Amino acid sequence: MLKEKIKSTVTELLENKRIDFVIGYGAGSDAGTVRPAFVKSVEEVEQLIWSPFAVNNLAKFVMDHLYENIKIGVIVKGCDSRSVIRLVQDKVFPRENFYVIGVPCKGILDKNKVAKDFDLSGDLVDFTEQGDEVILKTSKGEFKLRKEDYLLDKCYRCETPTPVVYDVLLGEEVAPFRTDDYEDVKAIENLSVEEKSRYWDKQFEKCIRCYACRNVCSACNCRDCVFDMAEPNWVGKAANLSENTAFHLIRAWHVAGRCVDCGECSRVCPMGIPVNTLNRKMIKDMKELFAVETPGKNPEQGPVLGTFRTDDPEEFM
Amino acid sequence: MRKGYILKESFKTWLGAIKEKFPLIAPVQDDGLTLFKEVEKVDDIVLDYGITRMPPKDLFFPQTEKMFRIKNKNNVAIELESPEKVTDELVLFGVHSCDLKSILALDPVFTTRFPDRYYQERRDKTYVIGLSCTKALPTCFCTAYGINPTDADGADVHLTELGDKYLVEVVTERGEKLAAAIPGIIFEDTTNLEAEKAKLTEKVKGEIKFIDLTGVKEVLDENFELPLWEKWAQKCLGCGICTYVCPTCHCFDINDFNRGDGVGERFRCWDSCMFSDFTRMAGGHNPRPTKKERVRNRFMHKLKYHLDRYNIVGCVGCGRCVQRCPENIDIRAIISDIKGGV
Repeated sequence: MLKEKIKSTVTELLENKRIDFVIGYGAGSDAGTVRPAFVKSVEEVEQLIWSPFAVNNLAKFVMDHLYENIKIGVIVKGCDSRSVIRLVQDKVFPRENFYVIGVPCKGILDKNKVAKDFDLSGDLVDFTEQGDEVILKTSKGEFKLRKEDYLLDKCYRCETPTPVVYDVLLGEEVAPFRTDDYEDVKAIENLSVEEKSRYWDKQFEKCIRCYACRNVCSACNCRDCVFDMAEPNWVGKAANLSENTAFHLIRAWHVAGRCVDCGECSRVCPMGIPVNTLNRKMIKDMKELFAVETPGKNPEQGPVLGTFRTDDPEEFM
Repeated sequence: MRKGYILKESFKTWLGAIKEKFPLIAPVQDDGLTLFKEVEKVDDIVLDYGITRMPPKDLFFPQTEKMFRIKNKNNVAIELESPEKVTDELVLFGVHSCDLKSILALDPVFTTRFPDRYYQERRDKTYVIGLSCTKALPTCFCTAYGINPTDADGADVHLTELGDKYLVEVVTERGEKLAAAIPGIIFEDTTNLEAEKAKLTEKVKGEIKFIDLTGVKEVLDENFELPLWEKWAQKCLGCGICTYVCPTCHCFDINDFNRGDGVGERFRCWDSCMFSDFTRMAGGHNPRPTKKERVRNRFMHKLKYHLDRYNIVGCVGCGRCVQRCPENIDIRAIISDIKGGV
């Protein structure tokens, strides 16, 4: 079982002092939630779990340990592993300070979708997977569900179910079995200019400027963020459509070519703004213009907008 | 307190009569979120909601509030122009007991030592109609703070849905004023309805997991340093969600806006003690340099400082922060850690 594999791997790493601590998943407040667990000693390894709801991307937490002589174990799924590439490529956190514990992933359940049909308010006692079925054993009862019906939207288009970078892989590689058709982006592209404008105005109006989308983002790794600056005051602190629009567009452009499409920005938004759709529009455009892959998918491929090739399209010149 | 009832069949008419007279703010569905918003049609009001995504504090303490206009007079003087009127009278309908209590917790901040005319005027001109909960969410824990999910405390008029009637409790003088302005409440004996309300209270209370706060304040009074702060802080992203969805968090920043043409305005807007620059001084010093100090500050504020300062709870157990924290930092688990002395 994955949970046992995680525990034994981490125990061994800690015992042999190959890492200083590990960032993994611990039990959350209810069956559909996990909470990051920072495990520093063998005694704490018991806290570690694996859950079909383990959505959180844990890679960015290493940024609390910049410039430390440290080795941090991080448990990553395929999508999260692209964030490791991001942090390494951006020279934020050196590869040698990471110990990447890769988890091949066949998709994570969306707790909001599952909670509509099942009572997730208890604790997750255990779970088993048989084929495409998951049986969730919770303190409020046992629920059997077809995984395919309840995955996170991003999992339906996952092209890297196996981490693209790892030091140890806990399980068999999962071959990519989906392609990203960018249907969500196309749906908005197909709107008229006025409809698009109305759509995004509606979304940006809701923004409460909590900066969760920025803080969770592995591409938002600047030492000083433009949004925290008072002088010059690039974007005002007032929460209104004008400033919020400036915030969202600047945020999207700052991660253009570097966003690894992990989807965390949309997940954490308390107001349900599809933040990541803006990023995905740019990824789609870049794929079409420069024939590149999703950032972070290919460790050899640098940031698209930071790379010059003589055959780059230049029809605008 | 006068008590009466409204028949369910005439309830929408009653709400409609309010809407005729005042702007009516109530929980409505907006792009998938339940939010307190000005109502366009009475039918849009969501009566059986669990909890609104955002608390009602925005009605009294807007996220962004213009304070005055600044005008440069030929570089010799500046002219300041404060708004004469902050708001019209309005009715805030459908506030649950936790949120009602949160308004009472905000009052001393803005009306006692440093009276704030903006808050005061909004408060004075808002009629608050409370609505008892009929069900609890897994994240609810109002009972920890001695709040019942059907409490009328903080409302001007309080309603409880019971069968084919709404029990009406007219709590304050402002409530009397509203009841007088909007006919429809039948002031008859409500003994039976009150007994039913007591039953509903017990039912909903039974759905709430009781969090025992015994000893928590005492531990925090005696201990500034506890290992648990580091433990929880390392999970924190440092975003502002918990403070912005919190009905009692009330920190703000003051900023100026101008286009460089000598005309501008001063506004205040919500700020969050979870932000790294919240306590950063002009010279660069930051007395809360890491997430540990910031996380500790927030929970100390909820569980101790607010009580010390105002003798009223700083958390009302609405559970919004528990629902929304991206990393599942759960104040109920922190309370349990504090009690465990870790």
